[in-house]
Amino acid sequence: MEIQSVAAEELRLPTRRRKTRYRMIASFKDFSLVCPALLFLGVFTYYPLLFSVYISFTDWNLVKPAKKFVGLLNYEKLLTDPKLYHVLKITFVYTILDVVLTLAIGLLLALLLNVNSRVYNTMRLFIFMPHYISMVIASMVFVWILNNQYGIMNKSLSLFGMEPVHWLDSTSNAIWGLIMVSLWKGVGFTMIIFLAGLRGIPVEYYEASSIDGANKWQQFLHVTLPLLSPTTLFLLITSFISSMQVFQSVDVMTDGGPLESTKVMVYWIYQMAFRDFRAGRSSALVILFFFIIIALTIVQFVLSRKKVHYEG
Amino acid sequence: MYRKKAASLFAVLALTAVSTLGCSSGGGAEEAGAVAPSASEDQTPVTIQYWHAHADVQLEGLNYMLAEFKKKYPWITVEPVYQGAYADLHKKLLAAVAAKEVPAVTNVEVASIPNFGEGGIFMDLNPYIKRDKMDVNDFSQGMLKAYAYNNKQYGLPLIVSANVFIYNKTMFDKEGIKPPQTWEEIEPFAQKLTKKEGSNVSRYAFSVPGWDMWYAETWMRNGGGTPLTDDNKSGVDQPNSVKFMKKFREWMDKGYLQMGYGKGASDTMRQMFFDEKVGMVMHTSALIKWYMENAKFEIGVLFPPGDQKRISHIGGAGIAVMDMVPQNQKEAAWKFVEFMTAPDNNIKWADYTGYLPTRKSAITSAEGTEYFSKKPQYKAVFENFDNVIGRPQHPNYPAAIEVLKNAIGNILLDNKDVETEFKAAAKGMNEVLEDN
Repeated sequence: MEIQSVAAEELRLPTRRRKTRYRMIASFKDFSLVCPALLFLGVFTYYPLLFSVYISFTDWNLVKPAKKFVGLLNYEKLLTDPKLYHVLKITFVYTILDVVLTLAIGLLLALLLNVNSRVYNTMRLFIFMPHYISMVIASMVFVWILNNQYGIMNKSLSLFGMEPVHWLDSTSNAIWGLIMVSLWKGVGFTMIIFLAGLRGIPVEYYEASSIDGANKWQQFLHVTLPLLSPTTLFLLITSFISSMQVFQSVDVMTDGGPLESTKVMVYWIYQMAFRDFRAGRSSALVILFFFIIIALTIVQFVLSRKKVHYEG
Repeated sequence: MYRKKAASLFAVLALTAVSTLGCSSGGGAEEAGAVAPSASEDQTPVTIQYWHAHADVQLEGLNYMLAEFKKKYPWITVEPVYQGAYADLHKKLLAAVAAKEVPAVTNVEVASIPNFGEGGIFMDLNPYIKRDKMDVNDFSQGMLKAYAYNNKQYGLPLIVSANVFIYNKTMFDKEGIKPPQTWEEIEPFAQKLTKKEGSNVSRYAFSVPGWDMWYAETWMRNGGGTPLTDDNKSGVDQPNSVKFMKKFREWMDKGYLQMGYGKGASDTMRQMFFDEKVGMVMHTSALIKWYMENAKFEIGVLFPPGDQKRISHIGGAGIAVMDMVPQNQKEAAWKFVEFMTAPDNNIKWADYTGYLPTRKSAITSAEGTEYFSKKPQYKAVFENFDNVIGRPQHPNYPAAIEVLKNAIGNILLDNKDVETEFKAAAKGMNEVLEDN
């Protein structure tokens, strides 16, 4: 009886209002479906994020019960600290080297191994395999590989009559040690994504260009590269962000040294918070770093807008 | 997607901030009163958690101690929870304090006492020590003081190490060399042991780690200097503080001393020692057992040679009670701390863990005598028992001493001038120490 009267009332409503009501119910349904994910993000990402903004304006040391409000003092101290610029420089140098080399080697491998046969499949498997190994384990192994007296790297170099290289205990080489482990672990993944991109390029373009007399190099420059640009942009942004956030290899292989030559941003944030107990200042650094990454990512998007070709 | 990426950047932020969840009102720990509640005869069952950093090799010892504790206090159940190495344990402890869900007892690494002490998260044990008439004079005084801060005893020494020299006794006996007891004896000792052809050194006399200032501080203090003065200023530019590094420079130039710097340097030093490319290495006493098990030759142990003084610095961790737990847990936790650090099981605990005994009476006991006859290597430390002392205490000290580490790095890697670097380090350290 009651149901009938509700239905009758619905029918009496003007059509526009009825539609709005249905739309609201539909959006509520959609919203309720994403609620668990939002809740998770809210608790573990957005709440800590906002809380860090708050902490960055305090002098909190992680153990003190009281958090004294200090205004912009943490930001001021950071911006006047020459170490900030040193750490930023190291982080950028690492990121540029890592991203450029990972993408270049990944693309080269994808081009070389873009053949369907059992041998090539096995080769791809071997190159991709390090991706599954944890960064901590890989770094521990590389500490030994790069050991200047007992490492296999220097032993191999000596076979070619080369002098042993101080890898991790030299200010100029330590960063290369970090890049080596990152490349070893990362190129396989980049190769696979590039391969997927390569396979998505229609054969017709190559056929058409070869009829027009283009050689392999010209095909690569004018067909492959432009049509791979969405894949390249994706890899560029993701590897840029992950390189900027490098931490585990630094923690295991160099401790930010020697002489702070590998002190990257996230490692500095970690040390400031958990070694020096400066939660306030390290949160301020997190916020600064957040805006730096956002700004650079926007720059990458804008610059790449003209260069990225989406097929169709 | 973009927002998602931006959010992922905050992995590190989450690390910081997750530890603060639920603490916006401030997790104030009430200070323990000067007087402990009178000893309770209450035997109502109580369960307490013990957060520890005892790795696998120490678990047998821990299980033995827990079983013995249960026999003595059947109404108290201790739940041991391994929380990883000291740094991991500390991080989890901070998160626990923020969430107000803390264990009753925990390990604490000795260098972090000032920071935890300032936060007031540990219970001051002094009132309980007084109430139960614990004989604290029986502890090595240096070890005991290392766990006190601002006149409060925030913990007691549990797994204590000191820096020592570990030497190749077989090699020394063969060469007819005795390990040097003073800085003066180092020159003739090293001259005899070093093997050198031109500038190529095939055997160094000794090795000192340059990667951790724990070792350099010992040399600095033994030379009559200090890393931190009484008024909390850097002392590294004092003539007596610089002296050791000048000696090091000279010994390195002569090929006597190998000094590693950087992350892999510890592995290199150990391997060189096993390959007999170095006669003795300065390292933590916690590794004596490991060296003895892995070396193909006989191992000897030497307390760091002295000059103006002869001390060694304490390392390892202590045991502390969290101030936030209810009174019945505090009482149970105190009983556990008392038991774990008591003289009765002190030798057995040391034997199991490879760390040092902490009680004088344990050392002189029948069990102690037997221990030393079985492991004479540890004797070197106990002949200097009260000279194992704590590192300087200041909340900013761990960050400040990194400045000296960089200075030593400049000297070792870039051949910079010792005096200039130490002067600059003192200035840099003061800036960090004053930065609040």
